[in-house]
Amino acid sequence: MRHGLTLRIGPATFRIGSAWRTPIEALARLYAAYPDGGGTVADFTVRLQPTSTLRRWVRPSIFITGDHGLADAAPMSLAHGLLAAEMGMNLQMALGWRRHLLLHASSVEKDGRALVMTGESGSGKSTLAALLGERGWRLMGDEFALLDLDSGAILPFPRLVSLKNQAIGVVADAVAPDRLGPLLRATAKGDIRHMVPRADAVARMSEGAMPALLLFPRFGHEAALRPVGQGEAFMRLTQASTNYVALGEPGFAALTRFVTGVPACAIDFPTGDAAFEMVGRLWEGGA
Amino acid sequence: MPQEEPALDRTRIYRLDPRDHCRICPLDDLVLLYHVRSGQTHMVISPVPEMLEAMADGAPLSASDLYARLAHDYDLGPPDAAVAQIGAQLQALEALGLVRAA
Repeated sequence: MRHGLTLRIGPATFRIGSAWRTPIEALARLYAAYPDGGGTVADFTVRLQPTSTLRRWVRPSIFITGDHGLADAAPMSLAHGLLAAEMGMNLQMALGWRRHLLLHASSVEKDGRALVMTGESGSGKSTLAALLGERGWRLMGDEFALLDLDSGAILPFPRLVSLKNQAIGVVADAVAPDRLGPLLRATAKGDIRHMVPRADAVARMSEGAMPALLLFPRFGHEAALRPVGQGEAFMRLTQASTNYVALGEPGFAALTRFVTGVPACAIDFPTGDAAFEMVGRLWEGGA
Repeated sequence: MPQEEPALDRTRIYRLDPRDHCRICPLDDLVLLYHVRSGQTHMVISPVPEMLEAMADGAPLSASDLYARLAHDYDLGPPDAAVAQIGAQLQALEALGLVRAA
């Protein structure tokens, strides 16, 4: 590919190639503080290529592919090239990662212990993690939490935080402008703006933490708190994992260790402030 | 047309084969069985864990035999209804590949 960049995020290394310069430049700016992945063999390759030769120049249209691809992935416009690269990296992780149990969850750490949050898209798990990361917690990841099969620790995957729609305004107010990417309007997921995690989140991205609390957040509802039983937690986490089945018995052992050792709660919250108060109470209350 | 359940065969003999070994993890509200051979995870509740425990020696058992074993440790209520329930569970477990017809 004409343009390329190698990135290391947590334990994974990505080689991103692009037919266009602009997505690589945007990635290079936002990932400037991350360790240089050059010189190592990348775990995954992501390719941003034109849907046809002509589409490289005329109304440029990106097809995301790589080591693992989805045949029916919809092409994206070049204006959304940064999102295409991020989606490409997520896709490789979701389809190809086997070294840890991969949970579609956000995670933050305080005092050496991790808070893991999982839920549907739009549940607020990503925004909540981003905001906690600005309020004394270390952001470990907004999209994927990696559960170590041997130690049971959660390992960070602190890629750029993907802020969506109303979360953009809420979080953008709390961070310096140089930590924000361009506003990508009207993508398939609505408006999106990427945020660079705080420097300590990047510097400590190889440092895991034992999970101490599992939350199932749900934004946009009256404040409510419900303990979640181990069976429900197990079932929801298997649904939130992209590689539970592929990992076989080690995956079962790791996930059962997680649900039998970590208390779980569902929290509904109407505002960020309500969520902070609930999280703080649960955390102090013996998580 | 709704399909009729197959008639329960109370004389059918089942056994727990070592090849169908499951890794068992009791949770607070149910029991997880990881079937090593198929890689499938099953979520079960009583009486399934107790039935599998009572079949652990691999002996061939009918629903009535299994009832007799379980009745040692549990109050199962009227025998006819209990044997019918055990028989239905054995059929379901066979369909899942967790027990085999002997």
